[in-house]
Amino acid sequence: MTKNMDWNEAATELNAIVESFDEGEVSVDDLFVKLERATAIIESLEARLDATKAKVEELAPRIAQVANDE
Amino acid sequence: MVPDEISTDTHIHEVGEFYELLTAQLESAYGKRNPQWVRGEIAKVYEKGHVYIDLVDAGSSPSDARRPMLGTHCWQGPWGSLKRKLSEDGITLKEGMVVNFLGYVDVYAPQGKIGFTIMQVDVEGLLGDAAKRRADLIKKLHAEGVVDANKQTVVPPVPLRVGLVASPGTEGYSDFTGQLLNSGYGFEITLVKTAVQGDTAPPQIVSAIQALDAHGVDIICLVRGGGSKGDLSCFDDERIARAIGASSTPVFTGIGHTGDESIADIVAHTRAITPTKLGEEIAALVSGWHQRRVIIPAQRIMVGTAEVLDEATEYLAERRRTMIFAVRDRLRAERRHLGSVRQQLLMQSRHFMTSASQLIVSTKQLLSAYDPKKRMAQGWSVTTNASGQVVKSLSDVAVGENVRVLVSDGSFESTVNKKDGNS
Repeated sequence: MTKNMDWNEAATELNAIVESFDEGEVSVDDLFVKLERATAIIESLEARLDATKAKVEELAPRIAQVANDE
Repeated sequence: MVPDEISTDTHIHEVGEFYELLTAQLESAYGKRNPQWVRGEIAKVYEKGHVYIDLVDAGSSPSDARRPMLGTHCWQGPWGSLKRKLSEDGITLKEGMVVNFLGYVDVYAPQGKIGFTIMQVDVEGLLGDAAKRRADLIKKLHAEGVVDANKQTVVPPVPLRVGLVASPGTEGYSDFTGQLLNSGYGFEITLVKTAVQGDTAPPQIVSAIQALDAHGVDIICLVRGGGSKGDLSCFDDERIARAIGASSTPVFTGIGHTGDESIADIVAHTRAITPTKLGEEIAALVSGWHQRRVIIPAQRIMVGTAEVLDEATEYLAERRRTMIFAVRDRLRAERRHLGSVRQQLLMQSRHFMTSASQLIVSTKQLLSAYDPKKRMAQGWSVTTNASGQVVKSLSDVAVGENVRVLVSDGSFESTVNKKDGNS
């Protein structure tokens, strides 16, 4: 499900889950479900971030060449 | 026939002899040792090693057949140094100029001519005239909007297509193109060769500007290295100024040395003090654009990308930590709650058990207080009628009915003889 969400949507849902914990709204029955969902979102975002970092690493030398061309 | 009043006793001269006499007289009065200043308008200039200049009275009409004319000349040797000096001051002797020559009379018998050998030219006077003509031209060009016309054209942000009006092989050409070629940017130079000094230069430069304007370049550069004022004087030509003013392409100039300012410079869109400086300035235009539009954005992208990635990484790490702590806290709280409830239940159970025990004891005590056996031992008895019911009222028995009486240690039968009610 998180694959279809963009970063902001996923982050918004993650923030809502964390907020519900902060406000003590999570019942013990919901705790596992919410934890599982939060973990899935975090892993999905991390995977996306890692993929983005890999692409950036690939492009960085090229743009650095432009940026340092003085 | 000889007029009466003229003496006929004088010696009759041969022609040559007469010229010798005349020359001696003239040289005595107006010769080298007694040079004279002569002012006149140049009617004709002819130069071939020596220079020959015909002078007439300033403002006299060419159609006047009787107007006096003085044939002046300057021999190659002195003319060389005189011409150099004039050139350094930006002066070229031309028809129509009014000049003051210092010189002496010169009789040329073979052609029967009295001439004038030039020794010196009044440069200051000429300079004053030239400066006035120049100032008048600038004033006129201002009034006609020519000075500002090319300044209204727009220089493209990256002027890489450069139209060049110059003379290849000259220092100015090399200085200018060297700056562009060494800049590292891909300048595309379209050269139109022209003379850059002398009378042939202005029409060639005008044609070059027009051709480059029509060709389509980003800017047109008019370039000429340093030289004497005379060398550079062609850039004061009105035709060049008008060609620059009429050009729809921005015209840049890099002419002469520091301090030289030609009318072409004044009319141009942009003026640099030397060809080298002009090359530098154009390269700087491109470099500035490259810096602003390519390098700085690229640097910002790099920094921005790193910031976004760092922020996202930190965000996820923080969310992960927060989730772990939140779940742990939540479970701890739940555990504490359960423990508390358990404790409470335990306490309540204990309390209940205690209360129940106490109730049982007191009930037992109460019940034992009401035990019939104890009462019977005290003398109380229980009577039941023939039906086995406990007799609680006179109505429960009848006279003559047999009843059973229970006492502490057994029972016995009895007969009801009489019933007496409570009065």
